Amino acid sequence: MLLLDYQNVLIESLLRDRFAPDASPTSIDQVVSDFDNVTFHISTPNTKTQILVSISVKCYPELLKYGAQEILEREYGQYIVEPEQAYNFSVQVDLEKLPESQEERDDLVKRISLLKRNAMAAPFEQAFQEYAQLAEQMRGLTLESAPQGLKEGGEVRAIHYRDEEAIYIKASHDRVTVIFSTVFREETDRVFGKIFLQEFVDARRRAIQNAPQVMFRNDPPLELQGQPGLQSGKGDIGYITFVLFPRHLTPQRQPDVISHIQTFRDYFHYHIKASKAYIHSRMRRRTADFLQVLRRARPEAEEKERKTASGRTFRVQG
Amino acid sequence: MAAINWRTINIDALDPESATNFDLSTLTPAVQPVSTADVQTLSGQIRQLLRGGDSEGALKGALENAPYGADEAGKAIHLATVTEILQNIRQAEMTPILQRMYKSDGGSEMCDTLMKYLYKGMAQGAPTGSESRTNAASGRNITPQATGFTQAGGRNFGGAEGGSQAMSVLLSWHEKLVELAGAGSIVRVMSDRRTV
Amino acid sequence: MSQSLRPYLSCVRSTLTAALSLSNFASQASERHNVPEIEAASSPEVLLNPLIVSRNQEERVLVEPSINSVRVSIRIKQADEIEHILVHKFTRFLTQRAEAFFILRRKATPGYDISFLITNYHTEEMLKHKLVDFIIQFMEEVDKEISEMKLFAFFAPTTHQNDIEKG
Repeated sequence: MLLLDYQNVLIESLLRDRFAPDASPTSIDQVVSDFDNVTFHISTPNTKTQILVSISVKCYPELLKYGAQEILEREYGQYIVEPEQAYNFSVQVDLEKLPESQEERDDLVKRISLLKRNAMAAPFEQAFQEYAQLAEQMRGLTLESAPQGLKEGGEVRAIHYRDEEAIYIKASHDRVTVIFSTVFREETDRVFGKIFLQEFVDARRRAIQNAPQVMFRNDPPLELQGQPGLQSGKGDIGYITFVLFPRHLTPQRQPDVISHIQTFRDYFHYHIKASKAYIHSRMRRRTADFLQVLRRARPEAEEKERKTASGRTFRVQG
Repeated sequence: MAAINWRTINIDALDPESATNFDLSTLTPAVQPVSTADVQTLSGQIRQLLRGGDSEGALKGALENAPYGADEAGKAIHLATVTEILQNIRQAEMTPILQRMYKSDGGSEMCDTLMKYLYKGMAQGAPTGSESRTNAASGRNITPQATGFTQAGGRNFGGAEGGSQAMSVLLSWHEKLVELAGAGSIVRVMSDRRTV
Repeated sequence: MSQSLRPYLSCVRSTLTAALSLSNFASQASERHNVPEIEAASSPEVLLNPLIVSRNQEERVLVEPSINSVRVSIRIKQADEIEHILVHKFTRFLTQRAEAFFILRRKATPGYDISFLITNYHTEEMLKHKLVDFIIQFMEEVDKEISEMKLFAFFAPTTHQNDIEKG
């Protein structure tokens, strides 16, 4: 089973090539696409030694609202430059001023290729912080004695990362809820998706009880009440809810949880397509089998050889 | 000439000489019309035999007096009678009964009649054609994307095992009967215009 | 093979064997035409009584014989939504390749999932008992195929969840 990487492989390999000690600087101008309509632009606008990496995210204003700037500054600090035209955020690396040690260089490559993941991580990190605060305030209080507003938890953070789909994150004192809205264009996809998600629920029951709780429904969950732009009642939209409990929210786990949750949608749709492809290849094989059986019904034309009176042989035509 | 498109008129249907208007009654042997009430009485008598433990006699009686001339309701009553008899006979007794029946006078005809009832019994509960299909579709429409191929339309799930018990009785009777009477019996069911 | 499948298939087999007695028969309606009478239905005298073999409510075979052609329609078992979609996909896949299958009808008769049309030309060219074998084998394997597809296609989504947990 495939597991998706969190970094952008293209950027990673490109930078690794450039960063190699014996690589000679060349000019680059590449546009790279990633999941969720994210576009990267890698170029060397000024000199061959200065590589500029820019990212364009559809929901960048929303991400900024949820503190993306701080996170990106934390991650990229000195490398940040003025955003390139038509892009949201840019970093620039000077090949002549690279860190000395190999480890530091690898780390830099890794960090830059995780640009998208880090940009999208902002609302998650903020929600996790909010959870921590709420949990702290809640300490020593029972559910009944909690002041108004603490029980319900924080506001819902919405990230409209695709045209019709969004992620909603909501922190409470004892959990963080992540809700994906997803659109199924085709009825078949909807049924496949339903079964796939059913499998999630079953798996939790069976083997991995510590996994986050997963729920699937066609109408918006209660947490999303009052959110603008929600569609419901139609069969082609679904809401997938992940409930992250405190055991998933320990500081050492948080980064991984964010990475995994981000790739959920890609993974989910990948799996639906993989299932379809698998079924298709099976059908192909089975059809070939059937054809072979049918071919057996056709009697083989016998090679008739006959002799004339003089003893010469000849074939019967037709 | 109003809105009728004359190109779509089936002219064969208007020609009394054409094959479309072939008079099927000329192929059907004359059968005695039987009223539904008579069938009712007959089935009562046969059930009497069945209750008396004489299932073989009941089967023979039912098959010898198949109401070819009855209307649909009468035929349905008789079918119910025959199916009941068949379900009352144990698996082990099937072959001996069939053998005795086959050897007796007019046994071959009786076997053919039995074959007719077996097929008719299996056709029961099979909804006929498109009408039931639309009902099912309106109940639960889960046809995948509009492909233009609507033949695999909606369908009700869950009832799959319904009637499988009754069917398996008929299927084992069918198997035994074919062993004895051969494929010719099936051909006669297909070609006989006297339906049960 | 399941207990009730064997008598069902043997019943279909004997019915088909009996029904596949076809002869060349030119159209009565138009000269120099030779059409499958069961499809044209232009003459009631050459059509025979249709027979239905059923295993239960949801699985059955309709055999419609005529003088020069037989139409065989199969209704395949579908227990739930996913099987319904798989059957639909599979039969569609097959009917799109009807050319290669000679006897496959491009459209199923209403109420059934897949139809075959066997004419006298097919029985002349091919061995009749092998044709019957083909249909029987088709019925056997299609059920197996559907349930296997259902099993294998949906067994792996747990990995990701596992990962989040390990996170």
